[in-house]
Amino acid sequence: MDSYFDILSALILLSSFLLVSHKRIKSYIKTFRIQSALIALTAGIMGIDSLIREGSFDILIVCVIIVLLKVIYIPRLLYRTYGTVEYKVEKDFYLNIPLLILICCGLVVFAYFSVSNIGSLDGAHLNLQVVNSFSVILIGFFFMISRKKAIGQMIGFLVIENGIFVTAFFSTHGMPFVVDIGIFIDMITAILIMGVMVTRINEKFESINLDKLKNLKG
Amino acid sequence: MSFFTADLISGLISNFIQFLLILLLAPLSGGIIKKVKALSQKRKGAPVLQMYFDLWKLIRKESVVSDTASWIFKATPYIVFAATAAAAFMVPVTTLVPSAISGDLLLLIYLLALGRFFMCLSALDTGSTFGGMGASREAMISALIEPSLLVSIFTVGLISGTTAVDQMMNTMKAVGVPLLHPVYILCFFAMIIIILAETSRIPVDDPATHLELTMVHEAMILEYSGRQLALMEYSAAIKQLIFLTLLVNLFLPTDQLVSLAGISGAGAAIPAVVIAAALALYILKIILASLVIAITEISTVKFRFFSIPNLAALSFILAFLGFLQYFVLGR
Amino acid sequence: MDDITPEHLLYGSILLYLAAAFAAILFSRSHKLCTIWSQVLCIAGAAAGTASSVALLFSGQESITISPFEASIPYLSISMTLDHLSALFLLILSILTFCVSIYSIGYLSHYHGKRNIGLFQFLYASFILSMILVFTANHAIFFFMAWEIMAVVSYFLVVFESEKEETRKAGLIYVVMTHLGSAFLLMAIMLMFYYTNSFALTPVSLDQIPESGRNIMFLLFLVGFATKAGVIPLHIWLPYAHPAAPGNVSSLMSGIMIKTAVYGLLRFVFFYLGVSSPWWGVLILLLGVISAVLGVLYAYIEQNMKKLLAYSSIENMGIIFIGLGVGFLALTQEKQTVAALALTAALLHCFNHTLFKGGLFLSVGSVHYATHTKNMEELGGLIKKMPVTAVFFLCCSLSIAAVVPFNGFIGEWLTYQSIFASIASGNAAMNITLILSAAALALTGALAAACFIKLFGISFLGLPRSEQAAQAKEVPFSMNLGTGVLATLCLLAGLFPQTMIALIDRAVVSVVKASAEPILRGSFLDLYRPINFSALLPEVSFSGSMTAKPAGIIAAPLVAAIAMILLVLAALLVLRLFGGAYRERRYGTWDCGFKELNPRMQYTGTAFSKPIKIVFKIFFRTSKDLKRSGDDFYHPKAMEYTIVNESPFEKYFYIPLLAWITNWSRRLKFMIQTGSVHTYLLYIFVAVLVLMLYNRMV
Repeated sequence: MDSYFDILSALILLSSFLLVSHKRIKSYIKTFRIQSALIALTAGIMGIDSLIREGSFDILIVCVIIVLLKVIYIPRLLYRTYGTVEYKVEKDFYLNIPLLILICCGLVVFAYFSVSNIGSLDGAHLNLQVVNSFSVILIGFFFMISRKKAIGQMIGFLVIENGIFVTAFFSTHGMPFVVDIGIFIDMITAILIMGVMVTRINEKFESINLDKLKNLKG
Repeated sequence: MSFFTADLISGLISNFIQFLLILLLAPLSGGIIKKVKALSQKRKGAPVLQMYFDLWKLIRKESVVSDTASWIFKATPYIVFAATAAAAFMVPVTTLVPSAISGDLLLLIYLLALGRFFMCLSALDTGSTFGGMGASREAMISALIEPSLLVSIFTVGLISGTTAVDQMMNTMKAVGVPLLHPVYILCFFAMIIIILAETSRIPVDDPATHLELTMVHEAMILEYSGRQLALMEYSAAIKQLIFLTLLVNLFLPTDQLVSLAGISGAGAAIPAVVIAAALALYILKIILASLVIAITEISTVKFRFFSIPNLAALSFILAFLGFLQYFVLGR
Repeated sequence: MDDITPEHLLYGSILLYLAAAFAAILFSRSHKLCTIWSQVLCIAGAAAGTASSVALLFSGQESITISPFEASIPYLSISMTLDHLSALFLLILSILTFCVSIYSIGYLSHYHGKRNIGLFQFLYASFILSMILVFTANHAIFFFMAWEIMAVVSYFLVVFESEKEETRKAGLIYVVMTHLGSAFLLMAIMLMFYYTNSFALTPVSLDQIPESGRNIMFLLFLVGFATKAGVIPLHIWLPYAHPAAPGNVSSLMSGIMIKTAVYGLLRFVFFYLGVSSPWWGVLILLLGVISAVLGVLYAYIEQNMKKLLAYSSIENMGIIFIGLGVGFLALTQEKQTVAALALTAALLHCFNHTLFKGGLFLSVGSVHYATHTKNMEELGGLIKKMPVTAVFFLCCSLSIAAVVPFNGFIGEWLTYQSIFASIASGNAAMNITLILSAAALALTGALAAACFIKLFGISFLGLPRSEQAAQAKEVPFSMNLGTGVLATLCLLAGLFPQTMIALIDRAVVSVVKASAEPILRGSFLDLYRPINFSALLPEVSFSGSMTAKPAGIIAAPLVAAIAMILLVLAALLVLRLFGGAYRERRYGTWDCGFKELNPRMQYTGTAFSKPIKIVFKIFFRTSKDLKRSGDDFYHPKAMEYTIVNESPFEKYFYIPLLAWITNWSRRLKFMIQTGSVHTYLLYIFVAVLVLMLYNRMV
């Protein structure tokens, strides 16, 4: 069982690296969808496991919610926002992509060093999954920093959320159901607001380049 | 002399047979890739065995040699062929039969480097513009891909405790299904990118193009004709099969299945059926790997030349992450 | 007469070099006689040196000591000890000197009648002699004296063609940098005396020098020796000095003089101080990695052949330093065998680098001799005009590119294997550092190969790009002989590395008290398979290792070479059988439909290195300048395109530092150096008083 989670955590990490290496907004959404599908798969495996062992199907419900929300609904929402904006490709980065990837790699090393010292996490396998999923959070953060366009920020936010979710998932093997639901509702609200905001920013400045927000200050 | 024992002789013979198998199969995988690509474009495409016919025809043709060229130009096809084929000696096709020759992976890489060195020189030798361009680009691609090649090999090697090819394959056999393991799956993906780059495939290089903006490998062998061209093409095919063999035998070992099905652990005498089954599985895996390459080629476009560093960085990171996973797992 | 002992041979060698130096002065009237006499004596000296070091290494003796005369100065002893480490370096020096001296007989002929050959020969012989003294001195002050003689003499050799502006500039940078290094060394040697009350170079015990003192001494030694080694960021003299010096001198400088730094580090740090903290190793490793990667990148974009080789020397010193750093790290973790492996790698690469870099500098000297240019953009097609030189040049290039049957591969292979063995035994942080070093080494290796494809391909292949290149003629026999011996040795050392490893092993044993030879027996030495660490290194733990005992043959370079020869023959046979007789038609290269192919259609060196330059642009401060002439912007009459490659180290470190120092000196001039004699007297007076006070207090 654990070896499946090991490999899934590695694949989730890999998908966030793929995200950093893309520059087309469409590919961002696609990669996010893949990542969410992987997370849903993780939840599904864990859900079946707990159904067999304890007879509870909390986690399976969470899995279904993830599929509905993150694999189907949010990407669709993002595609709609994507349709309204003019810019489909990120062109100017602060740093070039190979460098970004290398920095993300440094983040993984950093996550490894910081997480491997947490005492309460025991067992080599657990540790591996937590390191990988913790790195997803950091990479999501870094993705938000490195992208200028607003959609990039949204994706980054979602990836952070994914990372937090998987980290919690791997370290506790299923959170209380209420907490999960709370997180999802939060996320939907945030995405809806951000979607509206992006459209507004686009109308106002005719660009979704967040640098333009600098013009707002007095 | 005690050095030449019966074991050694039989090992050498089995090595030689495996070597001949690689030489024989080499043009096949390219043919499969071409056929799959043609079918995907709703063309009939050339026969799968087309490359054998091509080589047969080319060695009978007259060679045209440039006035500018020196002995380097004429010697290169032989050196490239010898280096590549010598590398093929070190790659076991199956681990079931004991091999007498065991190659070192670093040695293998540097043997291929010898071939590349001379190929680039021959490209500069004719004084043509295309040659210089191809050589320069090839030099860059190989330099960028080298670190990830090494890190992924080191990671697999560390687990096996050696860089000997056959022992690495044995270790992988003991692992069972390596692809269910985060270390190996990351290295596997890294290896696929490395293969695409090393064997001049889309998205790094286009083997079918003759446009000066896009060609890399083709630009280097542009001035060759006749039997020299045949040798160059053949060497490229062998190199591709070497990499594919490494890929499938390291990351998709199947020999343990065969020996489970047959008489496992019977000692010296391994039934011929078992070996035949192992070889059949090997050929199946090669066809599968060629399919994977073909599908990758179909579904991507050729990258802009200066996007290749992105790809190289990605493959390096994959290999490096694999290494990290190993150490997180190990402790 | 008694048996000839290593002592006699060493004496003989030194005396022969002395004789060469004096013969040079004696015959300075006749240039031809002078060259021949002096070089022949040098060759004899080199032969004696080789014999002496090989005799010592193969005899059971630990070391030999000779002291020609007692020094009357206290705390100074002029005595020389040849132990195994010294003998190894003496061997490397002698082999190179042997070849360079043969080469010089022909090479110097183009100076005949134009320059002071007597002076040159005198300096040349004393330069070699000073290096022998550096390698054999067993006393820190004596070592330092020899070191300074070496620095000064090599300075004069660098500025031998002193009428050129750039040569004088190169000499200035060289002499400043090298003395900066010497200053650090001197401080370290003073500290040595401060702690131990002795200048003897025998290992100190741990309690004699406190931890802090050790660390400071290590840093001082490191800066001092790294300056000589040309390790980045202390490398700036190297790309100036090597191109400026005559060909045979730059061969000696790059081949062996920068190796004195490796010797110094081993002698003073490994041997004398002992290795105590892991960060020493990490520091050396990092310096090595930076030098290797940046060195080869700078080499790759260079068009001046000698400058390219100079940067490549920096790269190779980086590789050697990586080996040393891995060895240091392993020693602090008490992995003696791994340390021995790493040191064997470093020393073997030292030896190999001497062979191929010496050969390359000599060949470039030949090209310069024949074409009077070092700029590869003016060359091309030389393989037809100078076929012999081309073959030797190709051999050395193949070695430095580390392709299989040549010796460069062995050194890099061992370095990789030592990193590999250290990773298996290190902790996580160290492992990450080490794997990144291995990756950097891989990048370096591939770029070095590309770099020498460029060097050989642009200058020897294709069509000649200038008149001189088209008119070039093969160089005299003695020049080819010198280069040829080195090139042959490159191939032999690649095919039979076991001899050299056996010699190096003795030096390694004398330093780390462990031997790597048993591990290597089973791979290269007995021509077996690659190292199986799990079975051979008990101190290293592998997680999922197999313990199968290696059996069977071989994938050593020798076997690969034999296999390749057989394969070539097989290919020829098969082609003859199935393809019929070889038919060939000579025709022009495809010229894109123009009238005929001309040299300007070829790729230039600049164009060749352009992709790498773009990918790694953060390391190059390249500025481009496009000048158009004519009134119309869109239809210029002529365009001129210049690229300036500036070294970022000079631009952002040395030049600001220099400006700062100049500024301060200018201020001090007004504060202290007033010009009044009375003030100066006052200074002296105060100094005397202070010293007396100090004496009273202590």
